[in-house]
Amino acid sequence: MFLLRKEFRQIVRNPFMIRAIIAVPILQMLILVPAVTFEIKRIDLAVIDNDHSPSSRELLARLSGSSFFRITATPVNIDEAEALLFSGDADMALIIPGDFSEGLAGITRPRLQVLADAVNATSAQLSWSYLTSVVRDFNRDIVIGKGAATAGISAAGSHQASIPGIGVASRFWYNPTLNYKYYMLPGVLVILITAIGLMMTGLNLVREKEVGTIEQINVTPVRKWELIASKVVPFFIIGLLDLALGLSIGWLAFNIPFEGSLLLFFGCASIFLVAVLGLALFFSTMASTQQQFLFIAFFFVMIFILMSGIFTPTESMPVWAQQFNWVNPVAYLMRINRMVMLKGSGFADIARDMGMLSLLAIAFIIMAIRAYRKRA
Amino acid sequence: MAAVEALNITHRYGRVTALDDISFNVNEGELFGFIGPDGAGKTTLFRIAATLIIPAGGRMTLFGLNTVSRYRELRNHIGYMPGRFSLYQDLTVEENLNFYATIFGTTIKENYHLIEPIYKQIEPFRKRQAGRLSGGMKQKLALSCALIHKPRILILDEPTTGVDAVSRTEFWEMLANLKSEGITIIVSTPYMDEALRCDRIALIQNGRLLDIDTPGNIRLSCSNRIFAVRHHRKYELLLALKSLPGVLSREPFGDAMHVSLNPDTTPEQLVRELEAKGLAGVTVTEIVPGIEDIFLELMKREA
Repeated sequence: MFLLRKEFRQIVRNPFMIRAIIAVPILQMLILVPAVTFEIKRIDLAVIDNDHSPSSRELLARLSGSSFFRITATPVNIDEAEALLFSGDADMALIIPGDFSEGLAGITRPRLQVLADAVNATSAQLSWSYLTSVVRDFNRDIVIGKGAATAGISAAGSHQASIPGIGVASRFWYNPTLNYKYYMLPGVLVILITAIGLMMTGLNLVREKEVGTIEQINVTPVRKWELIASKVVPFFIIGLLDLALGLSIGWLAFNIPFEGSLLLFFGCASIFLVAVLGLALFFSTMASTQQQFLFIAFFFVMIFILMSGIFTPTESMPVWAQQFNWVNPVAYLMRINRMVMLKGSGFADIARDMGMLSLLAIAFIIMAIRAYRKRA
Repeated sequence: MAAVEALNITHRYGRVTALDDISFNVNEGELFGFIGPDGAGKTTLFRIAATLIIPAGGRMTLFGLNTVSRYRELRNHIGYMPGRFSLYQDLTVEENLNFYATIFGTTIKENYHLIEPIYKQIEPFRKRQAGRLSGGMKQKLALSCALIHKPRILILDEPTTGVDAVSRTEFWEMLANLKSEGITIIVSTPYMDEALRCDRIALIQNGRLLDIDTPGNIRLSCSNRIFAVRHHRKYELLLALKSLPGVLSREPFGDAMHVSLNPDTTPEQLVRELEAKGLAGVTVTEIVPGIEDIFLELMKREA
């Protein structure tokens, strides 16, 4: 107990720690959640209109009327359009051929050409699908207007836009407005407690080594596990407090729904914290300075977070990456958090993930204790 | 029973042999000093005694308890002060002392009499964080913390390195007090003048013990007479001494050269030979050999 009291006293006395504990969750929630979004707005479109007909103007009006596109340039030829793409002044170029309106009249088959800056593959794909959907709408209206199903525009490189015989009415469950904030927030909470649990605990342990205070403690009758417990318990508590703080911010600032059980949510977070604290202990045995620890921890945290499925679904990762996620605690909690917060999943739904996370926690703790045992 | 019994202690760091077959005994209530230059192996030896490292070879017992197999019991009886200040800099003087007292299941009050003469001097600063103390005060706090559980043995690794001369003298007076309380003390130091305050000293060099004895006996063991030779042209003096076959060794000490002579060379002869080399007015006086002289002689003999 006196060891714990000492730890808390040191934490409270360190102004940096106090600030970090309070500011990190606030900043992470307020910055990361709204900033990281996959929606693409304001795609800069360069248009070469070789037709100059009412039809082509109608199409362009529809494009610029949607919230996604902005017609920012009207180059005269393809070379100029390419230059705009290259310089980044345009994200996409749309080329309307001279026979566009003739085509619509059913004489030739009209083709639109689209060039896209695909440096960011995701945004190029999304822009592409936005564009084709606008074109499809346009197409359908014309066809309906003409009362004939003979002609249609197809965008070069895409499948021919056809008129669906069956209407598909889709409804998105669990996140009906496809709000990316709802998707990100549970993930950011995971990052938050990873950072607190792993970095702060590890740095604290390594600092005792670096400053040499561990020497003095080691010659006392204090047992290894007592020392470890005194390091782990404060950060376990701080981790849970920060999680609660982050969640409240989510509630207040983003009005995030919370469907599941709070108890289950914090229960899983606790298991996760044990796993992460175990890792922190393990890494701290490998490092003798805080700098070394930071490097090791940063390396692993980076991998854990990027592979956890926070940005991209793990199901679309290569098989080896999915296999790696068997030992990635962040991936489990990422999934659990989203399920509990957004779907309101109960214990039975996440039991498997919880079980695996518990196994990992036990494994990491055993690894850490093994590494610590070497009395030298 | 001996307070410390070390038998054939050997330790290596990779290929470097830090301690090479070291054996010694320390009696209970003795103030035992290890004298040697940096890198001689003092810290390694003390860390073994403090149960912090397991020696590669040999064994050491403190009060009959083996430092490897019974380290847990032993830790209740050891007060260890590492060479580097290793208390919590962000805790206050009082908090540090309290912390170490509670670790050992005792209170400041219980053993206050033991630390009183030392702690009284830093008590006015008891609300100050340890990191903001001066060197001498830090050292007093460290000693207080090492003493608060009334250890049977104090292991002090270079306690006076980096401390001013006045504080050093004070510190050794404190050690003498503690000794009179019956506490065994082993202490290491690179300062030869401090060796004289020990009951017995061990000279250590390159991981080997050169000699163990009382400071007085060690001085007597010096076989050669030592002379202090002084002249204001020091460099010429050094060159001249080097060229004389009757001079066995010459080491600069402050303003003088300490010289040991071949038995068949007299000091008068030395003066004549030096004057012949153009060093008029040179003085040669016999001195009682200091620990340094002996240390250097033993080192030469070893080599």
